Amino acid sequence: MPVVHIATVVPISLTVGANRIVPAVAIPHPLGNPKMDPAEEKALRRSLVEKALTALTTEIEDQTVF
Amino acid sequence: MKLEIGNIHVKELAFGENTALSSGRVQINREELAGWIRELDHRIAEVKLDIALPGESTRIMPVKDVIEARCKAEGKGFMFPGRNPGDEAMVGEGRTHVLKGMAIVTTGKVVGFQEGIIDMSGPGAEYTPFSKTQNLVITCEVDDTCNQYDHEAILRRVGIETANRIGQLAMTATADETRTYETKPLIQQAAEYPNLPKVGYVYMLQSQGLMHDTYLYGVDVKTILPTLLYPTEVMDGAIMSGNCVSACDKNPSIVHQNSPVIHELYENHGIKYNFMGVIITNENVTLADKERSSNYVAKLAVQMGLDAVIISEEGFGNPDADLVMNCRKLEEAGIKTVLLTDEYAGQNGESQSLADSTPKGDAVITNGNANQVIHLPAMQRLIGHDTYADMIAGGWDGSLQADGSITAEIQVITGATNELGYHNLCAMAG
Repeated sequence: MPVVHIATVVPISLTVGANRIVPAVAIPHPLGNPKMDPAEEKALRRSLVEKALTALTTEIEDQTVF
Repeated sequence: MKLEIGNIHVKELAFGENTALSSGRVQINREELAGWIRELDHRIAEVKLDIALPGESTRIMPVKDVIEARCKAEGKGFMFPGRNPGDEAMVGEGRTHVLKGMAIVTTGKVVGFQEGIIDMSGPGAEYTPFSKTQNLVITCEVDDTCNQYDHEAILRRVGIETANRIGQLAMTATADETRTYETKPLIQQAAEYPNLPKVGYVYMLQSQGLMHDTYLYGVDVKTILPTLLYPTEVMDGAIMSGNCVSACDKNPSIVHQNSPVIHELYENHGIKYNFMGVIITNENVTLADKERSSNYVAKLAVQMGLDAVIISEEGFGNPDADLVMNCRKLEEAGIKTVLLTDEYAGQNGESQSLADSTPKGDAVITNGNANQVIHLPAMQRLIGHDTYADMIAGGWDGSLQADGSITAEIQVITGATNELGYHNLCAMAG
């Protein structure tokens, strides 16, 4: 079953062997950014989720950072 | 920079009529000092002072910071500079007097969710260096207008200002022992011992937000790019702690004042190697910051002409990634590295110790497994609040038992797995 790892510290995802990696925003708030206004933040959140869905449905040969 | 450290051995710490230092006895007027602390901020609601001595059946929790009382006897600047207007002078030169053997400890209600424990006797005392110091403990509570950030800042200020005030007692005292430390400007220092390897120290500091911050000359280190220090600057408080979460491996201010790696590097400076200086760096929460800071560390180390460095981590988890990046990038630049860390290897010690890894990290020193479980029997006296035992990092629901004893991981004990080697845990070759 394909799995996407959304994580801030990509090197750790690579070390632990995740195959599909989507870089996140920051450790305390991986899928958001409290400095943005709500509309901008929602766009950011949507883009991360859409990227993760794309990663989930992409055929890969090796560890891949999207 | 050249700094003389004059240690005045504190043989006795006690409350009394006036605040004074005489023949190694530090006496404190309890009411007067408590009143002075209350005036430090209008939001302080309550201040209580206690003395906790080694061997007593006393528990202090939740502990925020531990600070050594020092003063500038000669030379520019103030202890813990850069916090107040007019205190911006560089420190690390001249003469500093130290009240050795005592410490200022701050406690009070938890700021966020995690702070430490100091037991003055029993099995827990073996795991904290601060069971061996005579502690002036400040229990300070703030009013309900304070948010968590205000609360943390007030308690931090209370500890530092009190340490500085008590430190003034040492100004005209005669030191029991004096030691001189000197590091020259880079070009001169390199020329002094041209045949010895040039060794530096990469000093990683927590910088991840509330209860995870550190201050350099009063500046929040999450906002700095890595920079250079003379090693003596830290002895005058250039680095101030603002973190104590998972208290086993955070550096209270007293650890920076007595920074073990720096003191140890001076021991063989000019004999086995040429100790060139210190690179300060941070442990921020975004990957871009981690990459930038570790790139900058490697650049500065090359710029300093270093052959080898010691890298110390503060904390665990994602800072393991900073540690690994610093190691890998320095090694790729041709600079040998030794890493100082601790482990979160699970309660049975069978899990992966660090969150990240690199084959370049082939010289690593551990300062213990923070997940090791310990039973802390009840103490006759409690300073602070033990109701937080179930919520602090290393505790769990049910850690605090009805008889007042606590079962938790040594993660809860202030300084237990200190990654600068300030205390006694280490893996030994079998």
